[in-house]
Amino acid sequence: MNPGNAHAERRVRLAAAMADEGIDILVVAGNPWRSDYLRFAADITPVEGDAFAFIDRDGPTRVIVEHPAEAARLRLEQEELDVRWSLSAIEETETAIRELGKRRIALAPRAAVPYRLAREPLLASIAPATALLDRLMLRKSPSEIAALRRAAVLADEGYAVFLKAARVGRPEYALVAEVEAFFRSRGCPENFQILGSGGREVRGMHPPTERRLAPGDLVTTELTPCVDGYYAQICRTLVLGEPSKTQERAFAVYSEALEAGIAAVRPGAKASDVARAQNEVFRRHGLGDYVTSEYTRVRGHGLGLYVDGRPAVLEDVDLNLEPDMTLVVHPNTYHPEVGYFVHGDSVRVTQDGCEVLTRTPRRLFSAPLG
Amino acid sequence: MRRGLISWSRDEVPPSVLDHRVARFQEKIQAAKLDAVLVYTSFARPSAVAWLTHFVPYWNEALLVIQPSGAPVLLAAFSKRVHDWIRSVSHLGEVRSAPDLGRAAVTFLEERLPKASSIGVLELDALPWSVAEPMVKSRYGPALVDATGLYASIRQPADEVEIRLAQRAATIAVQAFKKIPTRATRASELLSALERSARLDGAEEVLPRVAPDLRADATLCRLEGDALLGERYAVELSIAYKATWVRFTRCIATQAVPQSWRSAADRFVETVERLNEANRSLEPGKNAAWALETCLGSAPLSIVATGETPPPSALPGGSLACLSLHLALDDGPWLRGEPLILGSRGQPSRLLI
Repeated sequence: MNPGNAHAERRVRLAAAMADEGIDILVVAGNPWRSDYLRFAADITPVEGDAFAFIDRDGPTRVIVEHPAEAARLRLEQEELDVRWSLSAIEETETAIRELGKRRIALAPRAAVPYRLAREPLLASIAPATALLDRLMLRKSPSEIAALRRAAVLADEGYAVFLKAARVGRPEYALVAEVEAFFRSRGCPENFQILGSGGREVRGMHPPTERRLAPGDLVTTELTPCVDGYYAQICRTLVLGEPSKTQERAFAVYSEALEAGIAAVRPGAKASDVARAQNEVFRRHGLGDYVTSEYTRVRGHGLGLYVDGRPAVLEDVDLNLEPDMTLVVHPNTYHPEVGYFVHGDSVRVTQDGCEVLTRTPRRLFSAPLG
Repeated sequence: MRRGLISWSRDEVPPSVLDHRVARFQEKIQAAKLDAVLVYTSFARPSAVAWLTHFVPYWNEALLVIQPSGAPVLLAAFSKRVHDWIRSVSHLGEVRSAPDLGRAAVTFLEERLPKASSIGVLELDALPWSVAEPMVKSRYGPALVDATGLYASIRQPADEVEIRLAQRAATIAVQAFKKIPTRATRASELLSALERSARLDGAEEVLPRVAPDLRADATLCRLEGDALLGERYAVELSIAYKATWVRFTRCIATQAVPQSWRSAADRFVETVERLNEANRSLEPGKNAAWALETCLGSAPLSIVATGETPPPSALPGGSLACLSLHLALDDGPWLRGEPLILGSRGQPSRLLI
């Protein structure tokens, strides 16, 4: 559960937004893959199975889950919650919605509402209720920013552990084991992490494999620990041994692109501006082909209660940046001479620019061979 | 998100085993006169697609299309760059890029099955609306039917390959329990030791829950932050190895293990031995709560029976399952959980390891 009052803050903002939209009860669906909306609305994070929260604008929250252990856990976490469990949680939720009678009900989010509940008369409410939550989740409150700052510190510390763990001969999954053990030692239950190792043949990152690190490898990783529900991300690349001139030259391009992307983050700019600023650097260096979807996905993305939130930083995404939005800027892509390369920092949009939350130096790191 | 080792060993899971599973499902699809079955997968619901193809999504979503014959096709919302990795860890026919899964499914059906009149969907009721909506609104909407029972009818009993994977997962879990520092005073210490051990041993995922002080409360918690450990605490450890999940629960005493716990452990074993495909109404004694879980669909483990609910469906002998038992002893709560192989009618179940 959140220390401080992040949950209370969110609840007040949600109640106000529900009042504005004329919603009495918002039914929020979630599961371990899409837990962000549930966390925002009811401060719960499902570990297994579907979960449904009935957010009453003026009353207590009711929750229906699929597992008795989940029900017991949520009751312990928040004694004010009315939690039930059912082997048929979706059916139970359908019945509970029906019993609400003529109150004004809405259903969200589109990514987690199950097919069975997406029926008239609530069907039409899914898109606007999802948009309502998306708007609220985009700009962070002071408590949310505080959690993100702590997550960014943990990401920095986690990268130091990764750097120490990356040694010739170790399998990729051993590096993740060390980082996960570290995060657990700091009370962090969630982390999104992918990595890659090797040379020009490496086209991206993935979960860890059995591949053993070799001298001269580029080792990339994206670390995304979670504090009080909020994720911050760091992307860095290291070389096993001394970096080659080619690797140094490649790094200079990514470093320049990251700086250009961060410089473009300010209120009034669009997500597309941040993407374009990074991509222009690659184009200037004759690497324009490598900022297409053939080689890369996004040039950054929103951070918050979901690891890959809005906005996607792409040249065709025109969402305006506003103060207290949080995102990672990362010009991660393939480089034809050295392979896949990553470099990225978490940032917060301020009143006149942005604050970089990541503190790890922007270097091409080197791990000793011995 | 899945963070541990994801790889495919053809020795551990031969392609022929996956082909056989798919063929058994296709027999059912043909018998039900379905034109295809769609199987959704995500981090939360990976198990059905993994059992059929060995594909486990570390994040994001995908839809597997199984037609009455031919290799399964994966519509993957992952970027195209990841397709090589997907192919390296799974046994599939085609892999298609599908940023919008529902629309991609409609396009695929239009191409391959323009006259389809009956499209099965595993767990149709639970299909996320973001995926279902384009299909429901297409001309295939009226053709969608639930195929949950069809899949469940072939899912258990477990085959030898799955049992070996479960045994490996169980060994990883048991080894991890041994790594808990005997002098641990905080939950973070034991969780860190469990994570490190299990992931170094090749766990695909580690899902721990802790009751930090059994004298205060026996509820198993997902900890954010830390907690002081009492003299008696409990740990539930769920481990995935190559998409096969097992669940263990252990009580740990920092002082001498109470005699009552030894008796309770005997009671647990006796309860397991009484359990079989014809008897899932356990009576492990007074003051007991229990749950029996197995994998029948897309969730790694789903409850098939508890002390509070009647068994909703039959489970054949030879099924891989996990029994969790919670006893209110005179000197406090006691929890135990173990994976097992369900006995056939008249035969006792046996613990997996």
